[in-house]
Amino acid sequence: MAEQTAGLPRLTSQKEFDAFRAKAIEKWQAIWSGEKTIVSVGVGSSSIPVGALNVLAAFEAIADQENLIVRKTGQDGADWTDVQARVKRKDAPAVVYRNVVASDAKGIIDGKHRSKIIGVEGDEEYDGHKPLNSLPFYKYQQRIVLQDVGVIDPDSIEEAIARGAYMGLYKALFELSAEEVIAEVTTANVRGRGGAGFPAGIKWESGRKARVTPKFVTCNSHEGEPNVYKDRRIHEGDPHRILEGILIACVAVGAERGYNYVGGEYPLAIERFRKAVNDATALGLIGRNLLGSGKNVAFRMRTGGGAYICGEGSAMMYSIMGVRGQPRTKPPRSVEEGLWKRPTVANNTETLSNMRDIVVKGGEWFAQFGTERSKGTKLMTVQGPMKTLGLVEVPMGTRFKTLIDEVWGGMRDGYAFKGVQTGGVSAGPLRYHQLDVPVDFDSLTPLGGMLGSGGFVVFDETVCSVDFARYLTAFNRVESCSKCVPCARGNPALVEAIDRIRFGRGSQSDLALMRRTSKHVIELSLCGLGQVAPMPLLGMMDQYPEEFQTHIDGVCPCGVCPVSAQSTVEAIAAD
Amino acid sequence: MAEAVHAPAAGGGIDLDYVRTLMAHFEPQDWQEGQELILGALQEVNEHFGYVSIEAAEIVAERLGTTATRIFGLLTFYADFRTEPRGKHFMLMCHGMSCYVMGSQQLVQQLADNHGIGDGGTTEGGELTVQVVNGCLGACNQAPVVKLDDDFYGRLTDESFNALVQRVIAETPKEQ
Repeated sequence: MAEQTAGLPRLTSQKEFDAFRAKAIEKWQAIWSGEKTIVSVGVGSSSIPVGALNVLAAFEAIADQENLIVRKTGQDGADWTDVQARVKRKDAPAVVYRNVVASDAKGIIDGKHRSKIIGVEGDEEYDGHKPLNSLPFYKYQQRIVLQDVGVIDPDSIEEAIARGAYMGLYKALFELSAEEVIAEVTTANVRGRGGAGFPAGIKWESGRKARVTPKFVTCNSHEGEPNVYKDRRIHEGDPHRILEGILIACVAVGAERGYNYVGGEYPLAIERFRKAVNDATALGLIGRNLLGSGKNVAFRMRTGGGAYICGEGSAMMYSIMGVRGQPRTKPPRSVEEGLWKRPTVANNTETLSNMRDIVVKGGEWFAQFGTERSKGTKLMTVQGPMKTLGLVEVPMGTRFKTLIDEVWGGMRDGYAFKGVQTGGVSAGPLRYHQLDVPVDFDSLTPLGGMLGSGGFVVFDETVCSVDFARYLTAFNRVESCSKCVPCARGNPALVEAIDRIRFGRGSQSDLALMRRTSKHVIELSLCGLGQVAPMPLLGMMDQYPEEFQTHIDGVCPCGVCPVSAQSTVEAIAAD
Repeated sequence: MAEAVHAPAAGGGIDLDYVRTLMAHFEPQDWQEGQELILGALQEVNEHFGYVSIEAAEIVAERLGTTATRIFGLLTFYADFRTEPRGKHFMLMCHGMSCYVMGSQQLVQQLADNHGIGDGGTTEGGELTVQVVNGCLGACNQAPVVKLDDDFYGRLTDESFNALVQRVIAETPKEQ
């Protein structure tokens, strides 16, 4: 640990932080105004599989002879460009290359590979290349949480501070009272980004008012859904933003200790976040008497073990406490009795990542983005056969059609749009004609969809809706914690019924049975997982009733389900 | 990794001295912190050996103030942990929704049909253990994707996947 944080002074006063920050800014500007060409390579969990580390090494190998500064950054979200490299020459905007491989390094520096250029940073055209902000993928984005992701080196606390990190904490320590911080969060009306949409200001307020001590703040970075990777990318690209959000929450609520609960399956996110925590501790931004303000905040990171249910608030707290992550009945709510039976404020990573800008720029600034009831921006991810796949941050209320057709570029060639699954495993799909809606917390629900944590999955005509419904229900069956009977027994029963239909042994009564069982699971389950577990199945049944019918009649239109194989066999036998 | 594993009889295949050294780094200040550290400790053991044996669980339990029984309760609840040794190679097979819509269901099927293994299964010769990940490996642009030891293989088809598995099995030296 010691050598990792070597060279970082311990800051014990406001003044020392100011001086450190001024030096960091100077250093940052010196890099960018120097003579050398700067190459930034996006290294993260989706670019490493396609060779980002090799690309980085290839540039580093020629750095001396070509007079380059080679730096690693997080990924800016444009997964379709992996591996992305940004080349900034003196007096020119940075040129962005896509799909770079290690052997391109020399050529890119020599000005070749022009076909791999997707644009230049900024709003102006340069050298015949379009500005990045004119590309649909970037045009609709409003980056608050992601503003430094892909810009800074995630392992450098100096670069983060040069870009404004810990200024929110600074303001919360020295300029605002705890009540004023909470007032800003309430004005911003930031709603929980984990899916439930509960206003963070109200939660903090009740945490502040709780009489029992010590209090805790937990950041839920578990993100176990099979379709979301937004929190992981913040960890990989700008870990200090999350850490700062947790510290601000601790100061505002009066909590003794902050926790970040990260899914154990994200090695890179854990590694970079751990480095961030070590650096911040060395600087004196975590611990006793923060920057001489007299306030103490401790911090611990805990990792999970790959159980989806641990995304549920009380289950997460049990998991932190080292027992099986099984939810409990509420009340008492966690702000009254959470971790170690103490008042605990639990927020999602993305919610906490907004806090720096809310505190620094004010709640009203934040509230200008988004819609009447859903303020701010939302990170959204898409998966499936789309052209420009990736993580984007758009204002709440962006039209769904715009997202699908423009931001994510529409379907890849040879694929036909069939539907988009919303809300992870907790809601149903939408069809194309329903997509003319704003995407926010409330607009998708009447259609049978849900914003959830912002993960969407587009599926094409080759995906059978019955089979997909089975996949989603089977996911909930496996991930059920088995504490309460409706969920533990109901979900397997649903999978069995779907399987009867998939195998061509289903009947009309199975459709009725599935609806009845779903109703039981939804109404009788203890926690959020069970209460929404049958929603994807019901959504599929509502959106694609004809496909369920054809399966009962003995044909899978997509030829995926076993029923089709059997009918072929029978057809051959009959021949 | 492999060379650390010796004295298979004594520790259920796990080098208990290594576990003791590992656990010496865990210094809980109080009982509460000890409880909080259990999952992390198990993860490190699981990462190093590929599984957690009863003997290793006992050492962890003793250090952090709990019982091996409760540790097994955790090991069987959380999907990341194994209580049986892995094969020589270890494959994480992404079965997130992105990989599903791009065809990972077929890959799971291929595995069962051609190699007779399901989730968590090991090939007969002990060459390869496959774990199906219900979450997401985070490489969705490459779907369907698998992570074999430290390398990713993306945009797989039935053919390229089968070829990959066959190559791993063929290239792994046999025990006897």
